[in-house]
Amino acid sequence: MVIAKQTPEMNRRTFLAGTAGTTLVMGLGVVLPGCSNEDAAGDLAAAGASKRFSPAVWFEISGTGAVLINIAKAEMGQHVGTALARIIADELGADWDTVSIKHVDSDPKWGYMVTGGSWSVVTSFTMLSQAGAAGRTILIEAGAKILGVEPAACRAENGNIIAGDQQVSFARIVAEGDTSRIISDEELAAMPVKAAADRNLIGKATRALDIPEKSRGVAVYGLDTELPDMVYAHPMIPPTRYGSTIRTVDDSAARDIPGYQQTLQISDPSDVIQGWALVIADDFPAAMKAADAVEIDWTPGPTASVTEAHILAEGEKLTEDPASGTLFVDEGDVAAARENAADMLTATYRTSTALHFTLEPQNALVEYVDGIFHIHSGNQWQSLILPYLASALGVEESNIVIHQYYLGGGYGRRLFGDQMIPAALAARELGRPVKLVFQRAEDSRFDCARSASVAKFDASYDADGALTGIEHAAAAGWPTLAMAPGFMGDGVDGNGKFDPFASNGSDHWYTLPNHRVRVINNDLAQRTFLPGWLRSVGPGWMGWGVESFMDEVAAKAGEDPIQYRLALLDAAGKNAGSAPNSVGGAARLANVLRDVAERSGWGKEMPEGEGLGVAVSHGQERANPTWTACVAHVAIDAETQVVTVKKLWQSIDCGTVVHPDGAMAQAEGAMLWGVSLALFESTEFVDGQVKDLNLNTYTPLRMSDVPELDIKFIESTEFPMGLGEPPLIAVPPAIGNAVFAASGIRARDLPIRI
Amino acid sequence: MNESLTIEVRLNGSPCSLEVAVHHTLLDVLRDEIGLTGTKECCVVGECGACTVHLGGQAARSCMTPVSAVAGQSVTTIEGLDTEAGEALQNAWVSEQVPQCGYCQSGQIMTAAGLLADNPNPSDDDITNAMDGNLCRCMAYPRIRKAIKSAANGGGA
Repeated sequence: MVIAKQTPEMNRRTFLAGTAGTTLVMGLGVVLPGCSNEDAAGDLAAAGASKRFSPAVWFEISGTGAVLINIAKAEMGQHVGTALARIIADELGADWDTVSIKHVDSDPKWGYMVTGGSWSVVTSFTMLSQAGAAGRTILIEAGAKILGVEPAACRAENGNIIAGDQQVSFARIVAEGDTSRIISDEELAAMPVKAAADRNLIGKATRALDIPEKSRGVAVYGLDTELPDMVYAHPMIPPTRYGSTIRTVDDSAARDIPGYQQTLQISDPSDVIQGWALVIADDFPAAMKAADAVEIDWTPGPTASVTEAHILAEGEKLTEDPASGTLFVDEGDVAAARENAADMLTATYRTSTALHFTLEPQNALVEYVDGIFHIHSGNQWQSLILPYLASALGVEESNIVIHQYYLGGGYGRRLFGDQMIPAALAARELGRPVKLVFQRAEDSRFDCARSASVAKFDASYDADGALTGIEHAAAAGWPTLAMAPGFMGDGVDGNGKFDPFASNGSDHWYTLPNHRVRVINNDLAQRTFLPGWLRSVGPGWMGWGVESFMDEVAAKAGEDPIQYRLALLDAAGKNAGSAPNSVGGAARLANVLRDVAERSGWGKEMPEGEGLGVAVSHGQERANPTWTACVAHVAIDAETQVVTVKKLWQSIDCGTVVHPDGAMAQAEGAMLWGVSLALFESTEFVDGQVKDLNLNTYTPLRMSDVPELDIKFIESTEFPMGLGEPPLIAVPPAIGNAVFAASGIRARDLPIRI
Repeated sequence: MNESLTIEVRLNGSPCSLEVAVHHTLLDVLRDEIGLTGTKECCVVGECGACTVHLGGQAARSCMTPVSAVAGQSVTTIEGLDTEAGEALQNAWVSEQVPQCGYCQSGQIMTAAGLLADNPNPSDDDITNAMDGNLCRCMAYPRIRKAIKSAANGGGA
């Protein structure tokens, strides 16, 4: 399972606490091989840090009692720092008004650094809780001594240790108390983490810590940074992602542009950046002007004529070839069900290429100083790009620091910091800081676009008309194969590997008599562009097929779509779920489905040309399910056939909700992304590149397209699951199913055009 | 090509003498030369609104404004927004918890401040018409609308 790879050190954790000067430093992490806990603790006491200790969790209490929590996650609008800080602060008994957060730069001490997959709270909750509880335990022991009472008589609340009518502040404990500690893995696991009923911060209303800056124009993004003596670099992108080479560069027309310096050809030993040049200038307008004037002649790579139609045709061919791909799901005997079938239902679903279109264009400012590459660029997956950078630059990862900033949009684009490579190469070559900025057209052309997909479904029926099995074959470009091949999974048939982020979602929680999923890499897509992880990744486009087809199956059975689904969500066998992540299994999905049915008035008579449609989702992966059910109300204009979404209801069970308002904001935003991908935005490959480069033709949802939203979170104390992406998934198929209800027309392509 | 000129502007309330290259946009000058980075660069064709400032009190897309065109005018950026409507909006942005990634929000606030200056009590349609040119890729639209209404109603305290 992918998540295990994030925290390989989980089995050797230690909690250290020590006072450095006037600050009490606490960390949960790994003491490095060959070092003793005592050495690491000694370092902490001396310097407040230790090269012998790699903390995943790290916070400090100052001499005033204020708590600073280091956050190794990227802030891209999900207010992750606030959520993670609430978990620690709750356990610690801190005064929330004194809590601040700091998003850290990359450093080996932080362990594996990634922000994505809707994983941050899921993967951090336990260790943050244990670290907070460990910190509280230490403060109570030290506070008890100061008060002259037993620790058992004490509690931590609002920055104080309290025993009866006595109390001592965190500040005084930091100054006077005995707080140096080494706590082993076993002791940590036994830490008295709070019961849900005792929580003061988790699940309670608060304001996100990043919002004030963002409301006053003072939040700093990577694009905003400057360094003295820096030059600007404008990327010159070749006709194809791969295999293009520069034949000639003619900058004669650029030479009399004031500020133009030179055009630098980029040679990248890691081979991520192929066929590039950088136009270098004193300022960005000069770089833009010069980029227009510089003529570069490329020998195009082999995919210079590839179109969207080619990619989709390849996908269709692959889904129809039973020998292609690898098995992701193989339950029962689908082959036998097909052989004995008296009837079949077949449908093929397709999704278009989609762009990330982060409003902050990709950028990197790199300074090479004293053998260290300082890279200033908001990024979601430092641990992914560091090895590529090390390979490109021919240095150790320890020679590279990625300085973190607020991200002006992540959505998965900033999981791959590929633009850092040419900026760093140029910075070293020029001996000056290089600020590489993409213009919008280049940003779109260089996007790791969501691949177009083709998914074919075949349902078999016996002579009595009973469903006997579903076979599902899905082909797309695979992001993980391109960027993080170490995270690929092994097919259940032992035949090849699959990309989990292009397969998840097909392994739904319905109990089917026989079920097989074959996932196939669209090799033409893979060779033409770099397929990307785009908000909700695999489930986002898999869900379109799975939930639209489930609707078709229900229709064939002559049954109500919700009743039909409920019967299959029987939580039997593997769908029973397990602790801690999926307690209740499919029963929780059935629960949100019943909830949304009731709230939406499902079954009521709808006006002519209007309809309700339903879809469910289990979030990003079976191992970390967020249970959602969505009903869409659409209206179709009789003349123009334009589909308008009037209202969306979604019921969401993500277990414990750490930061309720942040959760609601993510649900709102993700649902509107779902509407946007369903109806408003798409592009296509033409001549090996995406066609729609700017907002004149690439048209994400605007304020005027926003439907009414009615979102409900199920009250729960189950383990917290993710929210950045899951609320998106059920929206497009709910809309498509509503279109069917309204018009009898079955949409099989996304975006929906009828 | 290398023609530069000196222009006088009133920038965030203070008189300011700028020596600028004639082909630069107001956005370029604000961000790269003066260092006021609260105004954002995004589409550079006037379609997203992230670059919105006030020119003579009216919302304007600075990416589409040649810097020469602002000579003798007053320019207000997010950093200098100090109208009553502007303050109310910024407070409402916090109380309604509007921003997600936040990159579009300076432009959203500046456009909204322009709306409220002309129309202190906008209807839902007025809000949509005024704000539709401001793209929010995180899709925080419901809260943007709610915060504008709150500020208009004397909320945002």
